[in-house]
Amino acid sequence: MTVEQPADLVSRILPAEVLTPRDSRLSARIAQCRAEGRPALVGYLPAGYPTLEESIDAAVALGNNGADVIEIGIPYSDPVMDGSVIQHATTTALANGFRVAQVFEVIEAIATRTDAVPIVMTYWNPVMQRGVDRFARELAQAGGAGIITPDLIPDEAAEWFEASVRHGLDRIFLVAPSSSRERMELTVKASSGFVYAVSVMGVTGARDVVSSAAESVVERARAAGAENVCVGLGVSRREHVEELGAYADGVIVGTALVKALGEGGPAAVGKLTAELAGRS
Amino acid sequence: MTQYTGAGRAETTGTVLDAIIAGVREDLAARQELIPLEEIKAAAAAAPAALDAVSALRGTHPDSLEVIAEVKRSSPSKGALAPIADPALLAAAYERGGAAVISVLTEARRFNGSLEDLDAVRAAVGIPVLRKDFTVDDYQIWEARAHGADLVLLIVAALDDETLRHFLELTRSLGMEALVETHTDEEVERARAVGAKIVGVNTRNLKTLEVDPDLFGRLAEKLPHDAVLVAESGVSSGEQVELYARHGADAVLTGEALVRAGDPTGTVTAFRTVGASARAAARAERTTGGHRWSEAPGPYFGEFGGRWMPESLIAALDQLEETFEKAKADVEFQQEFQRLSRDYANRPSLLTEAERFSEAVGCRVLLKREDLNHTGSHKINNVLGQALMAKRMGKHRLIAETGAGQHGVATATVAALMGMECVVYMGEEDTQRQALNVARMELLGATVVPVKNGSRTLKDAINEALRDWVASVDTTHYLLGTAAGAHPFPAMVRWFHQQIGDEARAQCLAQLGRLPDAVAACVGGGSNAIGIFHGFLDDESVELWGFEAGGDGLDTPRHAATISLGRPGVMHGARTYLMQDEDGQTIESHSISAGLDYPAVGPEHAHLSAAGRATYEAVTDSEAMDAFRLLCRTEGIIPAIESSHALAGAVKLGRRWRDELGEEAAAEKVVVVSLSGRGDKDVATAAKWFGMVSENHDEMDEEAQ
Repeated sequence: MTVEQPADLVSRILPAEVLTPRDSRLSARIAQCRAEGRPALVGYLPAGYPTLEESIDAAVALGNNGADVIEIGIPYSDPVMDGSVIQHATTTALANGFRVAQVFEVIEAIATRTDAVPIVMTYWNPVMQRGVDRFARELAQAGGAGIITPDLIPDEAAEWFEASVRHGLDRIFLVAPSSSRERMELTVKASSGFVYAVSVMGVTGARDVVSSAAESVVERARAAGAENVCVGLGVSRREHVEELGAYADGVIVGTALVKALGEGGPAAVGKLTAELAGRS
Repeated sequence: MTQYTGAGRAETTGTVLDAIIAGVREDLAARQELIPLEEIKAAAAAAPAALDAVSALRGTHPDSLEVIAEVKRSSPSKGALAPIADPALLAAAYERGGAAVISVLTEARRFNGSLEDLDAVRAAVGIPVLRKDFTVDDYQIWEARAHGADLVLLIVAALDDETLRHFLELTRSLGMEALVETHTDEEVERARAVGAKIVGVNTRNLKTLEVDPDLFGRLAEKLPHDAVLVAESGVSSGEQVELYARHGADAVLTGEALVRAGDPTGTVTAFRTVGASARAAARAERTTGGHRWSEAPGPYFGEFGGRWMPESLIAALDQLEETFEKAKADVEFQQEFQRLSRDYANRPSLLTEAERFSEAVGCRVLLKREDLNHTGSHKINNVLGQALMAKRMGKHRLIAETGAGQHGVATATVAALMGMECVVYMGEEDTQRQALNVARMELLGATVVPVKNGSRTLKDAINEALRDWVASVDTTHYLLGTAAGAHPFPAMVRWFHQQIGDEARAQCLAQLGRLPDAVAACVGGGSNAIGIFHGFLDDESVELWGFEAGGDGLDTPRHAATISLGRPGVMHGARTYLMQDEDGQTIESHSISAGLDYPAVGPEHAHLSAAGRATYEAVTDSEAMDAFRLLCRTEGIIPAIESSHALAGAVKLGRRWRDELGEEAAAEKVVVVSLSGRGDKDVATAAKWFGMVSENHDEMDEEAQ
């Protein structure tokens, strides 16, 4: 008897173990926020900016002032998805001697000194060069919950699927306004913890008005089966958080925090976080 | 055995042939009245000896596809085709394009031909001439010889076996040969039985006058393989030539496509080029059990390539891939691309034997002259192709990255040509060392954005172009300039450049009668290299050499020898070799040549290197500049510094061959060098390198050293 070859992207690309749901700290935290009637606040900061020590202090301030989830970015020489503020920060970190292994120190500090769930956000080449499995193992040991992969699509993620399952890490892929229905379904099914919805076509950076495309991306991701959808790109104020929180499960803030860190150090990060979380 | 009378017994065919032949007989009778057979025989005896048409049609190499180019005013199926005021001029144009044989219609009533046409053509060309007529009488064969023909046409359908055999004997007794034309299995068998050395398959059905291009393929197995096989009819574009060549045609006979083409010389050349690659591909398929290096559609090349890209851009890449696949299969697109390549970009480019340079190097060096293309480099091939893609996708804004400025200039050029908006990203350091090219782009109406991030060179320009693209993808096409990046770019950019190798291969066969021993090209991203390599990938005897920028030397940190010293990683959308540190951070590359100053390389090169089909070596700045000067002084050609890396590679090959084989044998070795660009843009850099100007002479070039 011959078995019919399924032709759709999901069955072609995703291994069975990826499709099997499992416990996730990240999902649990977002579900808890939902139960509290608010969106999860997801904050981004790059490791090593401006120095390793200050980046640790800033991340801890972020975690202790209302962030539910913290993304720690790995500075990379060719950040094609980043706008000028984050580019400047990561270039500074690299110039100050940042090494990839230091990201685990930042993750560990968040895991031990705050209640926030730490994850890594990284371009893929640094992970590939460390060895995908080794990176995953070290991240899990440091207390990290998963990786956001802005330039890795499920189509190329075979090695990451294996490593993430082995080490119990969440895979956070991105969906975009331009994603086709088929790709939306693929990406949602490949993801765990949450799905990262890119709200505008463009690079990172704070914007005055959060794109109207955001709601539609979130809706389409939900229609494709996503349980948790967080929205990023452009958020800088409490009102953005409230606006996006009306339909998204989590609101991602990056550039505004990096800018605050550059201008006012870890204390400014704590202050902005409290404001974004509605605590001030 | 009955004595043949020469009275010309023809078969009744029940087709258009019968009426034509009735007319031919009437006209023949009139000529016989005027000039008796004895007089014609005397003229035939006095004519210079016939040329060897069989050898001419066999060509110089097993892969060559020869063309019988026809002077044809009109036909029964199409009516009047072209006025042809001067058949001699047209025939000479065919000869220049590399036609093996000129065919001249001499039938007057339907084809509007004449023996005067034959005389004029005979006097104008030095290659064999076919008298194309409906041979039904000995007289016509004598007459053909008397007028200097080397070949006559014998149509099997119109002749019984005995007459066919007799005509063939008479033809050969006069030193000529016959093109024995068939339409069916049965006629092929009859041609074989009489020992035809040149068998034509006319794919036009005599009853319906329709062309059936697949007929040649269907009859191919039955055709006598020791004979020269000629496909006739339906040869209107490169596609049909390719089809016939793949099915084993040694030659094609074509008239209509040529008399209607604006450029008969170029069309003959193009047909031979396409045909030779198709024959090579078919041969490679037969001999390698199906594995063909040239069959590389992506997204993966071995373990390299793919799509390591943000999801935001995947839809655009999907759209591009779909548009490209459709375009490749679309005759109209191919014609448009070929027309622009020919009439705008000046293709095909020459293959020049560099005799004095060769003497200095110790082996034969042939230069593929991409420097003679419009805008001065191979880059125009790719931008014309991609601009047509953009048009098909309804995108009117082009963005591009550029290193040396050549690709930026080419993109600005094509944007001007097609009325599109153009923004070029260029590393700030490169805008300084290539200030002249910045001015050229601005003159052409493009906006040049100096990129101040990172190392301020080519890779950062690509990063910035990608950032633009993410935000503008609905209206903008990212016209990537090299065979790198995410699928479909590597395969697509290569496809637009493959003509470099296809031409070079056919030119080598035509000029040398053999393939080269090696092909050399410089490799930054690797677009000119992959373009010229592709024509030769399935020729096992041809060594392929890529020369990377060695900068100050591989024992220093200042170089761009990605394949030589890099290791696999992902950047700009592809898995490939990268110059990177232990953490995967990109290391800044260095080269005197801005165009090679790139820390990654196209994924297909990574594959060809890993699989051992091509070899990559580094050439230092100083070796490249020595070769630059040598070419200037020996050939009167100022090459781009990028291309000088390939020239330096040829110098190394020459040295190696001399060491291994001795001077005499080395002098017979042939290397084709991709002269990918001209060096006008590099004059300031070179003048400074050679100390011809003082250090402060040219401030705009301050950072070049």
